[in-house]
Amino acid sequence: MTASTTIWLLLCVLAPTLLGLATLFLPQKAITLRTLLALAGPVLSIVILAQHLAGHGVAAAADPMATPVISWIPLLNMNLSFLVDGLGAFFGLLVAGIGVLIVLYARGYFGPDEASLYRFYPTLGFFTTAMMGIVLSDYLLVTVLFWELTSISSFLLIGWDRYDKHAVKLAMQAFFTTGLGGMFLMGGVLMFGFATDIGLGGGGLWRWSEVLALGPGRISPSDPFIIASFALMLFGAATKSAQWPFHYWLPGAMAAPTPVSAYLHSATMVKAGVFLVARMFPVFAVLDLWSNILVPLGAFTMVLGAVVALNQHDLKRIFAYTTVSQLGLLMCVYGLGGMAAGGHPNIEWGITQIANHAFYKAPLFIIAGALGHYISRDITQLNGAFRKQPWMVLTMLLGGYALAAGPGTVSFPAKEFFLHAIHESAESIGPWWMLLMAMAAVTAMCNVAIFVRLLTTLMGWPGGMKPGASHGHDDHAAHGHGEHEHEHGPWAQMIWIPALALVSLQYVGGLAPGLWSQWFAPLETNIHHFAEGVPSALHAFTHPGVPLYVSLIAIICGVSIGLSPLMRGAIVDVHDRIYPAMYWLAVTGGGRAFRLVQTGRFRNYMVFVLLAFLAAYVASMVLDPTMLDWPQVESPFEFFPGVLLGAIICTTAILMPIVQSRVVRVIILGSCGFSVVGMYLLYQAPDLALTQLMFEIISVILFVLVLRMLPDKGETDRASGRWWRFSLGTLTGVAIGWLTLVSAQSGAEPRLGEFFAQHSYSGTELTDGRGGGGNNIVNVTLVDFRGFDTLGEITVLSIAALGVFSLFPRRKPLPTELEFDDQMARGVAL
Amino acid sequence: MTISSPVLRNSMRLILPLMLLYALYAMLKGHNEPGGGFIGGMIMATAICTYRMSHGFAAQLRLMPVHPRVLIFLGLGLALGTSTVPLLLGEPFLRSAVGVFHLPFSGHAFHYASAMAFDLGVMLVVVGVGVGMITQLSEELE
Repeated sequence: MTASTTIWLLLCVLAPTLLGLATLFLPQKAITLRTLLALAGPVLSIVILAQHLAGHGVAAAADPMATPVISWIPLLNMNLSFLVDGLGAFFGLLVAGIGVLIVLYARGYFGPDEASLYRFYPTLGFFTTAMMGIVLSDYLLVTVLFWELTSISSFLLIGWDRYDKHAVKLAMQAFFTTGLGGMFLMGGVLMFGFATDIGLGGGGLWRWSEVLALGPGRISPSDPFIIASFALMLFGAATKSAQWPFHYWLPGAMAAPTPVSAYLHSATMVKAGVFLVARMFPVFAVLDLWSNILVPLGAFTMVLGAVVALNQHDLKRIFAYTTVSQLGLLMCVYGLGGMAAGGHPNIEWGITQIANHAFYKAPLFIIAGALGHYISRDITQLNGAFRKQPWMVLTMLLGGYALAAGPGTVSFPAKEFFLHAIHESAESIGPWWMLLMAMAAVTAMCNVAIFVRLLTTLMGWPGGMKPGASHGHDDHAAHGHGEHEHEHGPWAQMIWIPALALVSLQYVGGLAPGLWSQWFAPLETNIHHFAEGVPSALHAFTHPGVPLYVSLIAIICGVSIGLSPLMRGAIVDVHDRIYPAMYWLAVTGGGRAFRLVQTGRFRNYMVFVLLAFLAAYVASMVLDPTMLDWPQVESPFEFFPGVLLGAIICTTAILMPIVQSRVVRVIILGSCGFSVVGMYLLYQAPDLALTQLMFEIISVILFVLVLRMLPDKGETDRASGRWWRFSLGTLTGVAIGWLTLVSAQSGAEPRLGEFFAQHSYSGTELTDGRGGGGNNIVNVTLVDFRGFDTLGEITVLSIAALGVFSLFPRRKPLPTELEFDDQMARGVAL
Repeated sequence: MTISSPVLRNSMRLILPLMLLYALYAMLKGHNEPGGGFIGGMIMATAICTYRMSHGFAAQLRLMPVHPRVLIFLGLGLALGTSTVPLLLGEPFLRSAVGVFHLPFSGHAFHYASAMAFDLGVMLVVVGVGVGMITQLSEELE
């Protein structure tokens, strides 16, 4: 492989964004052209990825077959390289493939709404790129970078309707939740990189290919840093993949337009967490924590999502909660994989599990949006919808049948694999497997019940949901659709055709398992028990076992619940309150803390500063008792001019709080400053003296100017707390004086000054063979050694000046050219 | 704020050129002798502000016919530019070039360091900030 491979794959990642941005240059009316150009992005990605796979094959896991590295920021371990192993290739194709369908669907969904499409395609391309980056990047930190980009782009997409405050709020909820996870992920990656650094030239593991190849040898399951970094990364995965208790953002994100929901919240972004877990699986599954966290967390989320989904009315919310449930299931699958079953990891066809969900959930969302467009998204309003939109309803029922994991879909064997893994886990967790099995059965039951509800309602059969069946209030229900004129023609049909295309893959897998196995076996890394391929339904029925019986029980119970009048209301998920509560806490608590600290009185700020100083002082005295030793001072009176100036400075300091008049104070302050200037001159610091002199002049001028603006009387409440402030000031003065005496004691150590004296003109090996080329140490330090500080300081100065310019806006208009000339003339005349 | 004192007015006429000249001298010589951009800027700002006190705003405008923020902008830009040039040459940020330049004809050696341009930027910023703040505040009063 040559570097061009990496460049091609980079192009594969960037293509959706580049072509998405290119659509901005088309005239707004050119919808068809725009759609085709936006379509070209993910298509190009697929072509490049397919070409790469055809040329190089699928990189085997644990084989460092990542593409050659192109340096980007080597210092931060962020370079460009891509890992196209089975998992990466599958996710890349999935993201780009569904991306193609979503571009088409968006055309049907937004219809001839030019403004929306104009804005939508670039944003969608941005998201697609971010997602491709996550799944293909080899460098962990680059993955993290793209991970954050998905958070940002999904924020833009969820808050699509910028004028809908509710949607924007929900977008922020999703952004903060997944963004928080991103922070944890970054922390975990950094900690992992440093924890695996074995020194002696063996740097840390910063690339997935290295992690997979070297990780098993280098990771010790008992290393606390490894465990902590894993926990942090897992937290990131759990928030992104909407695991309890962070799942609330996913149903909230349904405020997005349906193309976004179908893309981000079913097939891609929420799968990023699952992807991460699958990536980590070969290496991290040895940790005890792996199964101990993932299995309970996943299983609980799975049941919770399924039960809440059953009690919803809005189609998008129903599917959002089943997505939560399915994500929990996937986490649980990988968690169970960490347990051994018969000497191998207890996981079968992991990628099939992921693909299965994407292939039915995205179509369900697509049709939910389409039905919402034409009729309603509220299931109680959809009774008999089949007569109005037969094709859409048919597609939805095909998807719903896969949701229920009916025989004939690939969902059925996928569920069998899961139940099989639970059954096998009895080896590791004993009787707990029965609890897991019960949870899986409840989940399956709910899914079947949802399908039965959909079937009876949409077909208008008895037992379906009817309007007014409940008084549940759902603020996310579609509104305002169905009133405007609907588009006709082939493009309008794009509102359901992509769903049919995608869901048909479910039936390919279900009815022709051989074909499916042929496609997916090269991508899978975990095939143990079912080596001959994904079993067909027929195979499952002819080889019955515990999993099959559980499935049958779940189906029977599910059908009866679906037909029964039980659980037909719409409930509010209690977890929806988490984010508002946290938000309230942050805003209100932050406001209170702000008002407590920021009093707006200079005196109070000063007290904070001095107290902090004294605290640090006391702490350092406790740590270093030699600071309390009486300093050895030679006769303090041996140099008379210094003593004289010191006395003047002390007198001014004492006089300062005593006098009341501000003018006198300025004079006292000035005399203090000029005495300091004299002090500098006496002790041979001409630079400092000069600077201080100029500073004193300027500050006196400034003071005189400012004094006029201040009220004549001082603050009225001076008396309160006076003695307390007095003692604080005295104490600080004594502390600083003592500090000066003590620091004058450290005579033996080499002085910093000597170092600078040596290096300021010409360098030695210490300064890399070069000096500042100047004899004035102060200035060389300012502009060369500490040039960066100076740059920062002058920036701060400039900002302060700009602040003054804007705080005191000119009352008089700026002198215009004419006035300026006029003034010039008068000036000359003067 | 103008102080109509003939002593100040007349002595300022004498002092101003000296101060400005010394400010430049301090800036240019700063690398080897007491001085530097910061001090030079302070001296220049003091000179201009004192001149303003003695001769008034019109005279200051004649001396410095730009808004101080222009100086700030130029100075900060110059400092940032000088610091960035080494990056383009593949050197670390802010590295200064040091060398000796022989004057034509006389053959005097002229020692230079590219940090001087940086120092000039510092000086411009300091002048801009000093003059700008005082101008703004005194305008507020008038």
